[in-house]
Amino acid sequence: MASDPVDVLIIGAGASGAAFAWSLLETRMRILCLEQGSHLHDSDFPSRNQDYELSRYGAFSCDPNVRRLQQDYPINSEESCITPVNWNGVGGSTINFLGHWPRMKPSDFRTRSMDGVGDDWPVDYHTLAPFYEMNDRNTGVSGLAGNPGYPDYAPPLPSIPMGRLGRKLARGFNELGWHWWPSDAAILSQPFDGRQKCVNAGTCDLGCAAGAKGGTNFTYWPILERAGVELRTECRVREILIDESTGLASGVLYFDPDGELREQRAHLLAVACNGVGTPRLLLNSVSEQFPDGLANRSGMVGRNLMFHPLTGVSGVFDEPMRGHEGPMACSILSQEFYESDPARGFLRGYGLHAGRSTTPMTFALGGFGIDDPIPWGAEHRRIMDSVYPYLAGLTVVTEDLPEPHNRVTLDPKLTDSDGIPAPKITYSLSGNTRRMLRHGAERATEVLLAAGANKILKGDCEKVWWRAGWHQMGTCRMGSDPANSVVDAWGRSHDVKNLFIVDGSIFVTSGAVNPTSTIQALALYIGDCIKSNIENLFD
Amino acid sequence: MSGLWTDEERALLDAMLNCLIPANPERRIPAAGDLGVADFLAQRLRREVELGSAIKTLLNGAPAHADAMTPQAVTALENEFPAEFRALLSVTYMGYYSRPDIRALVGVGSHPVHPEGYEVESESEALLDGLTAPVRERGRNYRDTGPIRKS
Repeated sequence: MASDPVDVLIIGAGASGAAFAWSLLETRMRILCLEQGSHLHDSDFPSRNQDYELSRYGAFSCDPNVRRLQQDYPINSEESCITPVNWNGVGGSTINFLGHWPRMKPSDFRTRSMDGVGDDWPVDYHTLAPFYEMNDRNTGVSGLAGNPGYPDYAPPLPSIPMGRLGRKLARGFNELGWHWWPSDAAILSQPFDGRQKCVNAGTCDLGCAAGAKGGTNFTYWPILERAGVELRTECRVREILIDESTGLASGVLYFDPDGELREQRAHLLAVACNGVGTPRLLLNSVSEQFPDGLANRSGMVGRNLMFHPLTGVSGVFDEPMRGHEGPMACSILSQEFYESDPARGFLRGYGLHAGRSTTPMTFALGGFGIDDPIPWGAEHRRIMDSVYPYLAGLTVVTEDLPEPHNRVTLDPKLTDSDGIPAPKITYSLSGNTRRMLRHGAERATEVLLAAGANKILKGDCEKVWWRAGWHQMGTCRMGSDPANSVVDAWGRSHDVKNLFIVDGSIFVTSGAVNPTSTIQALALYIGDCIKSNIENLFD
Repeated sequence: MSGLWTDEERALLDAMLNCLIPANPERRIPAAGDLGVADFLAQRLRREVELGSAIKTLLNGAPAHADAMTPQAVTALENEFPAEFRALLSVTYMGYYSRPDIRALVGVGSHPVHPEGYEVESESEALLDGLTAPVRERGRNYRDTGPIRKS
């Protein structure tokens, strides 16, 4: 059964879908968003329970293969050293992201011309800067102005507390003469826009019950729903339809909450399903015109998958670091080794992120993103009593360069609960990344020692975190050339003129920073391009 | 609690759990078995059949009496049944550290972290100025690019 067409159909209610919808509000077009998950209610947040940590290993795991909720789709990661993690629901992965909010840097958009690797974007930092700023205001971003790592900008709210751990490490960086700065965070340091400030619970990954973290469930969606954007939850899109006579996308087929297959028509479609979900949907949308998947004449849909491979180094200090208090990921960030220096033996660079330490259960089970429990027996007792409270750590977050063989395809057997083929990840680390991880682990060790650590705990940095697949980028890359890119500089498909992609899949390179700030700035920018060209949008 | 295990099996299991997470008598931190983590396991294995099988396998391979459940005996079980041992170890850690009283004993709040959270003092402007001064003094550390030239 087909419904009346809407003006704009957005698939996915996460970071990018919400920002894109907000951008189009002023057009007064009829906007509909289909979201496979649902709203979280206040009582759903595990951090209100005594045993909140348990939920990390069940219904609030970041890994959909562990959660296995109705709205989740399985992901075959058997041929990858990193598995994608996410949240499916209103807010998308901003529900369980950690709110770390660094921008990409100018050189991130010019890696080919400046460093001879990756590719240049068809947009640049300075074009996106106003949209970063707009999004920071909408989200409520805390930070300290004057960071010499960026062109000048000022976050709207004061920085969140660095805590004892952050101050200790900052002094270590100063001792070595290296860059660091209080992290920008999509976490409120002050009450803002009717939302309460952060209570330093340290459970950002379990959804923020306080509403202080800038998930789009707390930022954009209340505004959008009040303004009349229709949000249909528990609706999973199976495929995007093509009008064979015009070559335009005509709508979608989706499963409604009762499992009934329905058709929704639309004049303009925007896909916002993240770097794994978006290529999955396009590859599942096969037609006579697009036998290899929608908008895939270039063959680039699903290719160039980029994550941010991570490794961590911890130091043991003489006083308790109280690392469980405060936002998990955002204390301070060093970008001393972010820009290319060929003398280091690799191109591009990495950040050293001072997050906070995890809560006891998570630490005992091996840490966030890792599955290697600490020893049992007398050594367990010693570690928990004499090491755990005294820890401060640095995470090495590396830039991942685009490589066509790292990709998302469709699994020939695995499906979700509606029978839609699931994604399969094929991914391996490059030599450049491995050298970066080694270099980063060595530098992190130097900082921790300079900060006063009396012992260093370092794993095998050849073994990256398995659940490090938060940042999924590159699988429908932007570009000017239809032969080697999926969308143009406006996020519009080269092949289908009324189909836009607005999520992290359009990244050309990954930078070495958490991508959500850039994802949303891009979504706002694409919305602005649409508004500016509305008269002849489909020419 | 559950009738899942005989008294002898429960005693063996408690002894095994005490080896996995021993007590710290000086700080009055109890061991996992003495704390009753086996009750947590019993709840879990009502919905995790494989966990029940793993525990049964380990108990069947264990010494006959709880008194003989030493770290050496547990190591032997770990070597002989690595998958089953790993399953038990993970759930033991979950059961032990999901207890608010244990969290407090390792320095973490016993309360649900919302709505109370933790009090973390913000750095003063003067402190932030002082800490960041050396970074600012070193100047810009990024490479800028001009806007794209449209052809």
